[in-house]
Amino acid sequence: MADKHGTIPHSNLHGDKAHHKVSQNSASSATDTQQTASLDPPHSAANIPDGQYSIQFTINRTPCNLNVTPNMILLDVLRHQLDLTGTKKGCDHGQCGACTIHVNGQPINSCLSLAIAHDGDEITTIEGLEQNGKLHPLQQAFLEHDAYQCGYCTSGQMMMALSVINDADIAEDDAAVREAMSGNICRCGAYKNILSAIQSARKEMKQA
Amino acid sequence: MSEMIIGAAKPRIDGPAKLTGQARYSSDNNLTGMAHAYGVFSTIAHGKIINIDTSLAKQSLGVIDIFHHDNFPDLYHTPSMMEQENKVEEIRLPFEDNHIYYAGQFVALVVADTFENARAAAYKVRVDYQAYSAIANLEQGLEHGDLQMQEKTQHSRGNPEQAYQTAKHTIDATYRTPVETHNPMEMHATVAAWQGDHLTMYDTTQGVVNARNVYAKVFGLSPDQVTVLTPFLGSGFGGKLWPWPNAIAAAGAARAVGQSVKLVVPRQEMFTTTGHRPETRQRLRLATNEDGKLVSVRHDSISTTSVINKTGSYVELCGGMTKALYSCQNLSVTHGITYVNRGTPTSMRAPGAASGLFALESAMDEMANTLGMDPLEFRLLNYANQDESQDLPWSSNHIRDAYAQAAEQFGWAKRNAKVGSMHDGNEIIGWGMDSCNWEAIQYGCDARVAFREDGTVFASCGTQDIGTGTYTIVAQVLSDLTGLPLDKIEVQLGDSSYPSGPISGGSWATATTLPAIAKAGRKAIETLKKYAILSGGSFPKAKTEDLIYEHGQLSDKKGKTVHFMEVLKARRLASAEGEAHTNGAHTDKFSFRSFGAHFVEVRWDPGISRLRVSRVVSAIDAGRAMNKLTSRNQIEGSIVMGIGMALFEQTEYDPRDGRPVNNNFAEYLVPVHADQPEIDVILLDYPDYNFNEFGARGLGEIGITGIAAAIANAVFHATGKRIRELPITLDKLMDIVA
Repeated sequence: MADKHGTIPHSNLHGDKAHHKVSQNSASSATDTQQTASLDPPHSAANIPDGQYSIQFTINRTPCNLNVTPNMILLDVLRHQLDLTGTKKGCDHGQCGACTIHVNGQPINSCLSLAIAHDGDEITTIEGLEQNGKLHPLQQAFLEHDAYQCGYCTSGQMMMALSVINDADIAEDDAAVREAMSGNICRCGAYKNILSAIQSARKEMKQA
Repeated sequence: MSEMIIGAAKPRIDGPAKLTGQARYSSDNNLTGMAHAYGVFSTIAHGKIINIDTSLAKQSLGVIDIFHHDNFPDLYHTPSMMEQENKVEEIRLPFEDNHIYYAGQFVALVVADTFENARAAAYKVRVDYQAYSAIANLEQGLEHGDLQMQEKTQHSRGNPEQAYQTAKHTIDATYRTPVETHNPMEMHATVAAWQGDHLTMYDTTQGVVNARNVYAKVFGLSPDQVTVLTPFLGSGFGGKLWPWPNAIAAAGAARAVGQSVKLVVPRQEMFTTTGHRPETRQRLRLATNEDGKLVSVRHDSISTTSVINKTGSYVELCGGMTKALYSCQNLSVTHGITYVNRGTPTSMRAPGAASGLFALESAMDEMANTLGMDPLEFRLLNYANQDESQDLPWSSNHIRDAYAQAAEQFGWAKRNAKVGSMHDGNEIIGWGMDSCNWEAIQYGCDARVAFREDGTVFASCGTQDIGTGTYTIVAQVLSDLTGLPLDKIEVQLGDSSYPSGPISGGSWATATTLPAIAKAGRKAIETLKKYAILSGGSFPKAKTEDLIYEHGQLSDKKGKTVHFMEVLKARRLASAEGEAHTNGAHTDKFSFRSFGAHFVEVRWDPGISRLRVSRVVSAIDAGRAMNKLTSRNQIEGSIVMGIGMALFEQTEYDPRDGRPVNNNFAEYLVPVHADQPEIDVILLDYPDYNFNEFGARGLGEIGITGIAAAIANAVFHATGKRIRELPITLDKLMDIVA
């Protein structure tokens, strides 16, 4: 995706209203944006501005090079530099779970993590869950069980849920899942449906 | 098709966008050349700014400009009139002067090239204050002698004082509710972009049209010069009904620096400068005759409001539901306000009713206990046949059915009335119940619907989907009307340039929007017929009244059938549109209300002082449920929020200086997955056709009304302790631990 890296993402104010439309298709605006953000090569030290450092990580299976300052938080880099805005900021304090992503297979609060500490890491965000244009079984289960309302905490809920399902140390019963998911706040209170979606996706994923 | 699609449990049509991270919420917009802003917020609750020193901050990397009361552009006040749809709750502009009215008030705004640089510089702004003593809470406000009775909101009938004096049984109790904060997961955010004199606001609002009008007034523009976009909202719960200072600060700064600006309110300031449910103190005096019939009800409430707005102050109407929920000939309701050094309060989910029914429904339980009567039986005995406050019949009231169905499902008949008598292992079980109640409102609305040449139907309306499912139920209405499947229907909302639609609040968006959509859809069909009979059209010799529309096709009497795509193509037309206006509901013939009942089980473990809500059964009478999946979800969610209200939520202010001390999610507790009880929602689904053609009354508020009292009543049943001050935290129960 990010064969060219960016420091400032671009989306055109005069552009079409694709992202206002409600459609069943997922537009690839992030990708488009990246391709228009052409910048200098990352590894040429001369091109790294003062106070910035070059890092490289894999984001949703695609290698990505970028320059960061030491005070850049991973969440903000995803949202601003890479325009991967599916990961949300809910508190910036690691208290709500909305920013949950996977780093090397582990769920983390990306608001509590410095970007510069992720050189060489493999990162997966909500944008990486869908494969070949097909919803992940967990996304499909969230859709069918109406496991959200406003949708703002939903990326974090799903990223955490995926880790919970795949964690052999977390029991499969409802109480264990509720406990394990309790770092992810849903203010709309869709907890009942989130739980049923997780348990339904678990079955689906076992069969797959 | 028609009977199946309306009310059907269809997944949300905007679901895939939300589930793949492609739905762009306001702060997800990254514009070319966009700058970032970060606020500086007052650290005192009352006083004056003596000096702002920005010299260090200005030298900070990437800073473009820093705004405060000395240099922020001069702007106008909005008239803030509901009927003009330009309402705000905090009329004062950001940076209007050097006065500080509450902790967390915007005192400066740093604009820089990146978020990191704006934040770093904001911490370098030095503000010197002259601090005055702050009025930190309701009691301090009253000591200050500032009680303002709100005469216009009072209601009185009969002679409640006299009836109380001569009654057989009386209850006189005072209840308190704390400040609660909406805390939608999405923080208030704005991306403001000017192109010449046109302002585009990617905004977090529950009302794009109201917000558009507010910004036009504030910047002295015509409404045509402002576009507000909220295609997705990370919910609001009332906190995003009216624009707050952050949005105006962002737009003012963007114009001044000549760049688009993104400003996100940090979570800690979501407790200060974007509204809250105010603190209340409510005195309930009830009296009954020997049989348990209410003969006198008095509900006198006082709520806090901000010193920043001494005109047009927010009032929490705690007695709104008390006026008519039960039958009583002698009744009075009063509301007073007192000023405190807090940000401006505003509507939070079921404003007035959530706080007010905690008091009323707790008092009803206390009275039932005094009478030795089952609380359900007591409520049935005092059922109101009509709205006695307005002397109008109910449009539709099935509260007795709600009681019956929920009680049956819950197993209420097995309740042992004796306090603390029901056990399960180490836990004492408490069962409580009560009523829920909310008004139903339908306002005027415009909408547009078009049949398009590509075979789709398109609808647009200047309302928004705040997570309630509005996109989906609009599509369901059009699917029913046009006979087309949902995937052939595109719905656009959340843009102020669309036909004027309602704010999403007060549970009225559904009842307001859907009739306008349906009317516009029918007009679009008529337009299609007009095009069909044009020369060169599909039915050039027919009259429109001879044509029948069904399942996407027009037919004439001879049996000729043409799909609407072909009708349009025959005349090389892009679309056939219909635009319509519908009026609000007539309120002079009926009283429109939603009703319901909550039955709650709590479990109290005295050994380890643990209290939890284990089971809730609620039956909701809110007219027709337009989508069973999203409707049920919304009621379940409001029950969850009500559990928060009952057990956890309160913004605590330091009584010495008026500063909020728990302004974060680690200390302001909200329900999490582990707090989730077994919830069973029964949607009675009686359409209210006196209200509108769909019979839908709206669902946003009804579920949270009454739930806190039902929990408090269950806690009493388990523990014998009557908690009259929310939230029911463990410290309030500790003294009953043996």
